Amino acid sequence: MKKKVLAVILGAAMAMSLGACGSSGGSGNSASGQDSSGEKTYTIGISQFAEHGSLDNCREGFIEGLKEEGIEEGKNLTIEVKNAAADQGTAKQISDTFVSDKVDLICAIATPSAQAAYNSAIDTDIPVIYTAVTDPIAAELADENGAPVGNVTGTSDELPIKAQLEMIREMLPDAEKIGIMYTTSEVNSVSALETYKELAGDYGFTIVDKGVTQTADISLATDEILEEVDCLTNLTDNTVVNSLATILDKANVKKIPVFGSEIEQVKIGCLAAEGLDYVELGKQTGRMAAKVLKGEAEASEMNYEIITEPGYYVNTAVAENLGITVSEELLETAAESFDSISS
Amino acid sequence: MLELKGIDKYYNPGTVNEMCLFDGFNLTVKDGEFVSVVGSNGSGKTSMLNILCGSIPVEHGSIVMDGQDITNMKEYRRNRRIGRVYQNPAMGTCPSMTILENMSLADNKGKFYGLGRGVNRNRKEHYRELLARLGLGLEDKLDVLVGSLSGGQRQAMALLMSTMTDVDFLILDEHTAALDPKTAEIIMELTDQIVREKNLTAVMVTHNLRYAVEYGNRLLMMHQGKIVLDLAGEEKKAVKVDDILRQFNEISIECGN
Amino acid sequence: MGIYMTILEQGLIYGILALGVYITYKILDFPDLTVDGSFPLGAALTATMITNGVNPYLTLPASFLIGAAAGVCTGLIHVKCKVRDLLSGIIMMTALWTVNLRLAGTANVPIFSKDSIFDNDFINGVMPEALSGWKKLIVIAVITVAAKLLLDLYLKTKSGFLLRAAGDNEVLVTSLAKNQGNVKILGLSIANGLVALAGCVFCQEQRVFEISSGTGAIVIGLASVIIGTSLFKNLTVMKATTAVLIGSVIYKACVAAALKFFEPQDMKLITAVLFLIILVIGMERRKKVKKHA
Repeated sequence: MKKKVLAVILGAAMAMSLGACGSSGGSGNSASGQDSSGEKTYTIGISQFAEHGSLDNCREGFIEGLKEEGIEEGKNLTIEVKNAAADQGTAKQISDTFVSDKVDLICAIATPSAQAAYNSAIDTDIPVIYTAVTDPIAAELADENGAPVGNVTGTSDELPIKAQLEMIREMLPDAEKIGIMYTTSEVNSVSALETYKELAGDYGFTIVDKGVTQTADISLATDEILEEVDCLTNLTDNTVVNSLATILDKANVKKIPVFGSEIEQVKIGCLAAEGLDYVELGKQTGRMAAKVLKGEAEASEMNYEIITEPGYYVNTAVAENLGITVSEELLETAAESFDSISS
Repeated sequence: MLELKGIDKYYNPGTVNEMCLFDGFNLTVKDGEFVSVVGSNGSGKTSMLNILCGSIPVEHGSIVMDGQDITNMKEYRRNRRIGRVYQNPAMGTCPSMTILENMSLADNKGKFYGLGRGVNRNRKEHYRELLARLGLGLEDKLDVLVGSLSGGQRQAMALLMSTMTDVDFLILDEHTAALDPKTAEIIMELTDQIVREKNLTAVMVTHNLRYAVEYGNRLLMMHQGKIVLDLAGEEKKAVKVDDILRQFNEISIECGN
Repeated sequence: MGIYMTILEQGLIYGILALGVYITYKILDFPDLTVDGSFPLGAALTATMITNGVNPYLTLPASFLIGAAAGVCTGLIHVKCKVRDLLSGIIMMTALWTVNLRLAGTANVPIFSKDSIFDNDFINGVMPEALSGWKKLIVIAVITVAAKLLLDLYLKTKSGFLLRAAGDNEVLVTSLAKNQGNVKILGLSIANGLVALAGCVFCQEQRVFEISSGTGAIVIGLASVIIGTSLFKNLTVMKATTAVLIGSVIYKACVAAALKFFEPQDMKLITAVLFLIILVIGMERRKKVKKHA
């Protein structure tokens, strides 16, 4: 008998919680509109694919960028942030919820979330602004010319590979082989690796790559690749970046420099990076979103953007450990340099 | 005819626990014989049935069925001609299916299990007649799940199901041991009836000496992997439970039990 | 309205998967982890066929067949190589990761601009204008209900009887002069065929193939089966297959509710707790039945 009661309570709880979903869907109609002071207010749903340093930076930058344009949370902006915990089905459910809540704009962070958001909003007039999508063309979010395929646009976190290779050549004049580790199932990594291989010859490098399928493979793969290379460089590969500490430990023992792909990696012990600042990328995305919200531009008419000027980041403490001297002129160009290793 | 020729059977071969059960074991069961097998625990009765049916492999020797060597034939293939009833009533039926479905399943033995309708409506009356003979009232419960029947009812069904099609041999593995005395009596009666009617060659292992004496036309007593007593014909008819019991006690005393 | 529609759509798509899991888990008593690989296998094949311009409706039978083939492999590993059930599934699941990646070419294949079973000249033609908002749901419901009815019919055939017997009582199958290994392989192939079919519909609904889409599929399937069969255990009029479909919708509703009130990071823990509660309720009832018997 007790169990039956429990079951009934359970069922009731589910039904009630669903009711709550439904009702908030209804009230969503009035989410966008005029507040008491007559100023226009906005509701934005942010769908983030996973909990991840770079993606978090994107999100913060995005909110910052909106603020710069006068759209500020708590004043004239309501933000709903949902994280899909790296599950594609959940990502779709999140964007479906945003659509049924009739938000004014969906901000999608990372490729699967962007695809899900575009799919959910495809038959509505809700614009989707994405960020941290490495290749919007391959993801079918933009056509071959970079123009949107629908009411969807944003920013790409494509790596400035040319600049990175140039920088490595300048810092390690004698290096020949660059090692790259990547996850075989991450599309962004595979396409970035291709670009590296294409361009490496121009700077006198050859690329040694090592694919892994999961975190558990990292340790062995690092040992193997370190036998063959003069330095390592990172992509924005989630699995590899998450295990960066392991890789840095092993590389330090062999005095092999590791180059990063963004500012955070340099902070924790990569030698240098000609890389992305995801906060900047987020800000750029936020400014795009502001234009769309204010009606200054249509998402469907804006090409996706990339960061035009990559920043040079260097960690002098790491350089000292490795016995590498960073020239004064290079240091001067650095967007930021660190003299300690934070872990 | 079923023959076991020069069977060697070891348990845990190649280990310190190696135990020889059969060493050159021979047995011939002629067509139409109903053999009762008695013997103490560990005497090899059940192992002998398992060897006959192919449930366990042998080290040496051959098993011959009507002149055909079936030593290497898989268990499920031998079962085309063998029906078997186990001690546990649950092993002969499907608890989550209804009586009717169980009967239909058994009725199709030896044929192809394809995409035809599982229950053959035309056979329903036939099943009902078969069940009515059990006298357990099952004929009115065709749509009841077998899992909700009692052990005796399930064993009766198992017996019926194992002999529904044209099998030639019936293997009974202490099939009344798990039942109460009254039900056991009913099942034993029914077994005898079916064996006679279908003219089956049967081997029955039992711990009930009275059944061994009263039923069947041949009696074997096994001890430590050997046949120590083999009565058939008039000898078998004349034997009394007390005689068997005395023999049984003698071998047990030899063992120091 | 929108959110209820999403729940129904997703619930019914995963319902097809749950029907497959029902065969392995409930009928065959075989915890089959192949599911995590065969779900994206159906999706990978679908994405590849659609990018190559094949008629989207052909992806449905094709996915079923390729999933069935994966199930046969799991069965062969288990039956012929005598590997334990759980391990056989893990081996196939691992192998399928590579197969999926090779089949699709990359880990993420969008099919936004292509025809799908939800969006093509035929369906747009027959569907009345008034129902266009319901189009997806209707197509999914038709496929799911068809899969359920076919499975119901199959379980009533001779072959289906043997499959049910194999899960109930392996000894009986042998007694019926049938190789129970083959029956298991058959069951695994039908189950994984259904799972891959679910992957096929899922891929077209999401308009993208994503390699990670199978991760945790077995948990969703098991949860649906257990929720469905436990909640409706006392309703004898309801078929188990129907209960499983409803279980799947309930599961998706729980996910939606949890998304509303909790952080998605906590979802798996919530799922686990829900799982446990339902299992315990289910077990209590079973004990009662035994006491009366």
